Amino acid sequence: MTRTLTPAETAAFGAELDALRTRTLADLGQRDVDHIRKMIRLVGYTEVAGRALLHFGFGPLSFLVGTSALGLSKILENMEVGHNVMHGQYDWAGDPALDGKHYEWDTSCTGDDWRHSHNYEHHTFTNVLGKDRDIGYQFLRVSGEQRWQPHHLFQPVSAALLALLFQYGVGLHDLRLAESAAGKQSFAELRARASGFLKKAAWQFGRDYVAYPLLAGLNAPRVLVGNLLANAMRNVWSFAIIFCGHFPEGVSVFRTDLDGETRGEWYLRQLNGSANIEGGRAFHVASGHLSHQIEHHLFPDIPAARYPEMAPAVRAICERYGQSYNTGSFAKQLGSVARQIARFSLPNQGHRRSLLTTVQ
Amino acid sequence: MLLLSTAWRRLYLDRHANFLLGELRPTWSLRERRARVVDIIDESTDTKTFVLAPSRWPGHTAGQYVPVDLEIAGKRVRRCYSITSLPGDRRRVAITVKRVPGGRVSGFLHDHVRRGTIVTLGDPAGDFVLPERVPARLALVAGGSGITPILGMLRDLVDRAELTDVVVVYAVREDRAAFVDEFHHHAVDLPGLRVVVHAGAHLTAADLVARVPDLATREVYTCGPAPLMDLVAAAAGKPIHRERFVAAIPATRSANAPARVHLAIADRTVAIDGSGTLLEQLERAGERPAHGCRMGICNTCRCTKRSGVVEDLATGALSTEPDQEIRLCTSVARGDLELAL
Repeated sequence: MTRTLTPAETAAFGAELDALRTRTLADLGQRDVDHIRKMIRLVGYTEVAGRALLHFGFGPLSFLVGTSALGLSKILENMEVGHNVMHGQYDWAGDPALDGKHYEWDTSCTGDDWRHSHNYEHHTFTNVLGKDRDIGYQFLRVSGEQRWQPHHLFQPVSAALLALLFQYGVGLHDLRLAESAAGKQSFAELRARASGFLKKAAWQFGRDYVAYPLLAGLNAPRVLVGNLLANAMRNVWSFAIIFCGHFPEGVSVFRTDLDGETRGEWYLRQLNGSANIEGGRAFHVASGHLSHQIEHHLFPDIPAARYPEMAPAVRAICERYGQSYNTGSFAKQLGSVARQIARFSLPNQGHRRSLLTTVQ
Repeated sequence: MLLLSTAWRRLYLDRHANFLLGELRPTWSLRERRARVVDIIDESTDTKTFVLAPSRWPGHTAGQYVPVDLEIAGKRVRRCYSITSLPGDRRRVAITVKRVPGGRVSGFLHDHVRRGTIVTLGDPAGDFVLPERVPARLALVAGGSGITPILGMLRDLVDRAELTDVVVVYAVREDRAAFVDEFHHHAVDLPGLRVVVHAGAHLTAADLVARVPDLATREVYTCGPAPLMDLVAAAAGKPIHRERFVAAIPATRSANAPARVHLAIADRTVAIDGSGTLLEQLERAGERPAHGCRMGICNTCRCTKRSGVVEDLATGALSTEPDQEIRLCTSVARGDLELAL
């Protein structure tokens, strides 16, 4: 159980994490760029192989392998390469191909929208009610602290739909549709925010569902369905990993105006607002190392492939300061998320408080 | 609605097309000029010439240099080297590099770069060049590794047969220095060329006047250590053309001392004074640089520091090299800066 730290303990806790951060930064070098370049090549070759099998193959086996290869390519590109490079994790290398401010990932959401809604808003205001728009993405109720509304009754269904169409959910996020619907954002502002997303989504849609199928001639239906399934694979997988990172039981949301928050307090909020998933190396890579969501939130700009080796040190520091470190198997965390989504679809009952704790 | 957008270019051209080109041939790129090292020539014990085959070359003028990006331990570093190949040859570009004792980049070039290594080249630049109408009477004075742009000029003059009356003065520590043989060889063939090699003790203005009595009547080009170029100017008694290899190292001031920050894109210079991060200082001066978290997390305020020294308060690291990426919200100026803002 997490212990409340004194201000001095909080500062010491933060200093220990800062020291770990400095140590890791000083060690960055060839193996980090070698890893990410290997991933970029894997993304490229699995995409070419997947598309070639869908276009020129016949029969169910090449369809299955082609679709899986394309889906894997999209997963690795979005998660291990795109998300991490866009955080600026490889900016120190000075390679324009790894430049966090200009990398454009292969999904409907524009890189610039993502850098704003995710790198800035979500990582700065993590799990602060009213400030972090990623808490339930403004339409799901994932904490008892959120006000219940009748539409939450249907959230098991809307969450499942979000999983299938996750790339559009992510792309729409920075448009602030809910704010426009509530009259808090003008139509002109919405149109300005939507322009980049609509163009990019149109290109992505046209590529996967019009251009490539047309190029395939008689194989058009096969290519179209293969692309649809590969996109769905990527959507469901990234949804699952990301929901396990912030919405299982035991993760805290916060009510604070962040005024005067110290470095140590910021670290505590990141730690208590995130959860890890246990797994092997391939699992961590396929999740873009977001299975190490805690380390990612403590050190968002350190190359994610370093998180597994930083995790034991982070865990040891947490133990010394009596801080809980939320981790579990994929099945456990996913089950926990599902229970939370079902539980919070109903209003809070009596004085049974949410399992998501609130820190004042 | 025009569907092309920044995202389109970044995704389909900068990434997808560029990736495929690079896989087909490592020097092919839509984003940068890459070159393969095709030959390495030992000019002396401490000087090597690297012959590069760039994917494309805009052409250069003799005496110019080219910025070369190398990757050392995963990080790109940039150094400028004089071009010693002929301007007419767009398929092969040569740079000549003297090993600097303890130098990380020249040492890496000498010890680790092989035939087949891929390097990235910037645009050739520099105004240490001969005018279009070559002056009839020239003096080219070089000290040590300052010989490289002079060599480029001399080879160009020989190639264009425009060498009428040229004196080359080459001050070196030992007479087995790079290119001494080449100069003597040219001097035998070309009546218009006189070569003076000054080996050993430091060259003085009196030495120079004694060896080249008509120095003041010649157009003078000099490259080498600053004291050498100063004495050449004194001996000539008139303005001369200089090439400075090492930019004057900016004094590292204390973090709170006043400094000037030049914003290169906006073409404005702001004076900063007192304490605070660069972001705070620029905002206080009325600038509106892009920023987000203000705590070194989100990367929104990252920008390129073209020159100067900054300290990153989050890591304590000093950024001293040109063209390094810094974060405004965690950095303080340790002297005058130029930022790509």
